[in-house]
Amino acid sequence: MTLVPRSLRWRLQLWHSLLLMVVLIGFGFTAYRMYAETRYRQLDGELRLRVQELTAHLDRGGPRPPPRGPGEQRREPPPRARGDEGPPLGRPPLESPLFTRESGFYFAVWRRDGEVLERASYAPADLKRPVRSPETVRTRDGFREIYMFTPPGECLLAGVSEAPLQAELGKTILHLTLLGGLVWGAGLLIGSWFTGRSIAPLQEIGATARRIAEGALEERIPPPAGGQELVEVAAILNETFARLEATFREQARFTSDAAHELNTPVSIILGQAQLATSRPRSMEELTEIIGTMRRSAERMKSLIESLLVLSVLDSHAAEAPQIPCDLAELAEEQVAALQPLALERQVQLVTACAPAPCTGDPDRLAQVFTNLLANALKYCRPGDRVCISTGTENGCSIARVADTGPGIAEAHQARLFQRFYRADASRNRTTGGAGLGLAICKSIVGAHHGTIYVEPAPPPGITFAFRIPRTTADADVNRS
Amino acid sequence: MRILVVEDEPDFLRTLLQALREEGYAVDGAADGEEGLYKAKETDYDAIVLDAMLPEIDGFELLRRLRLHKPTPVLMLTARFATSDRIRGLDTGADDYLTKPVDFGELFARLRALIRRAAGTAIPVVQVGEVEVDLSARSVRRAGEPVELGAREYALLEFLVQHRGRIVTRTQLYEHLHDENDSPLSNLVDVHVSNLRKKVGFDFILTHRGQGYSIGR
Repeated sequence: MTLVPRSLRWRLQLWHSLLLMVVLIGFGFTAYRMYAETRYRQLDGELRLRVQELTAHLDRGGPRPPPRGPGEQRREPPPRARGDEGPPLGRPPLESPLFTRESGFYFAVWRRDGEVLERASYAPADLKRPVRSPETVRTRDGFREIYMFTPPGECLLAGVSEAPLQAELGKTILHLTLLGGLVWGAGLLIGSWFTGRSIAPLQEIGATARRIAEGALEERIPPPAGGQELVEVAAILNETFARLEATFREQARFTSDAAHELNTPVSIILGQAQLATSRPRSMEELTEIIGTMRRSAERMKSLIESLLVLSVLDSHAAEAPQIPCDLAELAEEQVAALQPLALERQVQLVTACAPAPCTGDPDRLAQVFTNLLANALKYCRPGDRVCISTGTENGCSIARVADTGPGIAEAHQARLFQRFYRADASRNRTTGGAGLGLAICKSIVGAHHGTIYVEPAPPPGITFAFRIPRTTADADVNRS
Repeated sequence: MRILVVEDEPDFLRTLLQALREEGYAVDGAADGEEGLYKAKETDYDAIVLDAMLPEIDGFELLRRLRLHKPTPVLMLTARFATSDRIRGLDTGADDYLTKPVDFGELFARLRALIRRAAGTAIPVVQVGEVEVDLSARSVRRAGEPVELGAREYALLEFLVQHRGRIVTRTQLYEHLHDENDSPLSNLVDVHVSNLRKKVGFDFILTHRGQGYSIGR
């Protein structure tokens, strides 16, 4: 289990608080160190000052034993009246505001031979003469002492208990900690508030997006406050939703159109069936009725086949084969297949096919030609001409089907490739077809990463063209 | 009764025409909105069966324009079943609305209802003297005994009953009993009247010289 929380907001706060804590600790620690050092330096300064005073005191003729005469024995110093081990030889004891019991500064002076010459009464009992060494500062048992050895060999020492300073430093630590804690707490609160404010729009976007995704597809995310990044995210999401909505609408329209298309032949079949059974019918009548029913059934069959083709293309169900083929060959084949029909309708089929290699599904590509040619033949009048050409241009293989027929009004051209769209706007079945032929062409060409379009050309007639990149690398070029 | 069917799908139009004719109506057809509107304005049909999706002028537009001139009962047929389409159709002036595929039985019943309403005869069974005419069942009884009538005869009787109490001119009868493809001799009306009288009673139909015929209340 991870200690890192999953919420972005809490994660931000965790890191933020950790960082702040580290900074505060570092800062506080440094401040404390500096302060402690300063205070100790100050203390040492005070001690040094007092050692100087001791030196001066000594120089003023403080307790220094007179030189011994020959044969004189060392005399015990007479007890001092005040009970201090004062100067035994009549020199005035050290009286200085620098050394008072209250201030805590004590002193001691040793003679050359190690015996105490003078000593503050309140000095710690276990005060011993320091060993002669280059160090002049020592800390001993909670007392800080500075001493000095004079040239004759006396030792002057001033000391003080560290306890007050320690206490003070202790308090400083406490204060720093409290202050740091406060600052940290405040930082957390502010950070938390700020993080919340920044995250809130994100949560709102999330909530709106969920609502939209669950069905309210027409809704959009309003532009959020709080930063360019959020605005961009919202914009991208809105774009996606718009596309989703369009797709669903397209789907719904497609389904509805398909149902509508099937409805009419079904109505005819049912109507004819009712006629057949409403009264006794002769064989001829029945034959005619069955003929009409059959026509409608054939229409439904062809429509269903088209729908299935579209559905397979839509779902990319089968792995599209990648077979090298040539548009020119495919065109020639389909022209040959439709030649009889063209002759019947007295329409001329002309080819001008240069090699146009590509890779893909040759059967499907052939279907594109079939649909385009069939359309052309359907709408052309006797005497019209249909010209099929193929070739390569700009790294793409391109094919054109141009006819001299009645053409299609520009207003319709934009929507020609829409499913079920029929330029004559009527659903007149005598001309056959449900409006899916061009939609199928578009799907097939699209599956080959190509484009199909109406090429502007002088009247009469209309020219359909489609181009397919020769390789997938060209596909990207083609798309741009 | 004369009906106009406006439907662009040729096979379906044919089916409807045949079915309605066999039901005893005189039926005209139109394959697009323009033709339909023209015919509807030209002739006084007893009812119009109108497809919503038509080339040239669509069904709703035809209806809208027709309603500026005539109150002919209109039954709309469509493959679209969205409620909004129904509402639109009814609000534009249709009197009824059916979705395809349509059951002919229901279509005929609704047409009969439309025609009844338009003529003001709400009750499907009409009694005139000792003659009882069941407009729904399309049957006639005289003094309780069923009377066999030919299609044209019944149509004639029905028309007279729908307009009973009023004088119906021979021209009207001619127009409402024959469709455009029929152009029989004008005295065929008299022949039918005569045949009808033989079956339901001579004084059942009154002759108004120079004006027409009528059936009493």
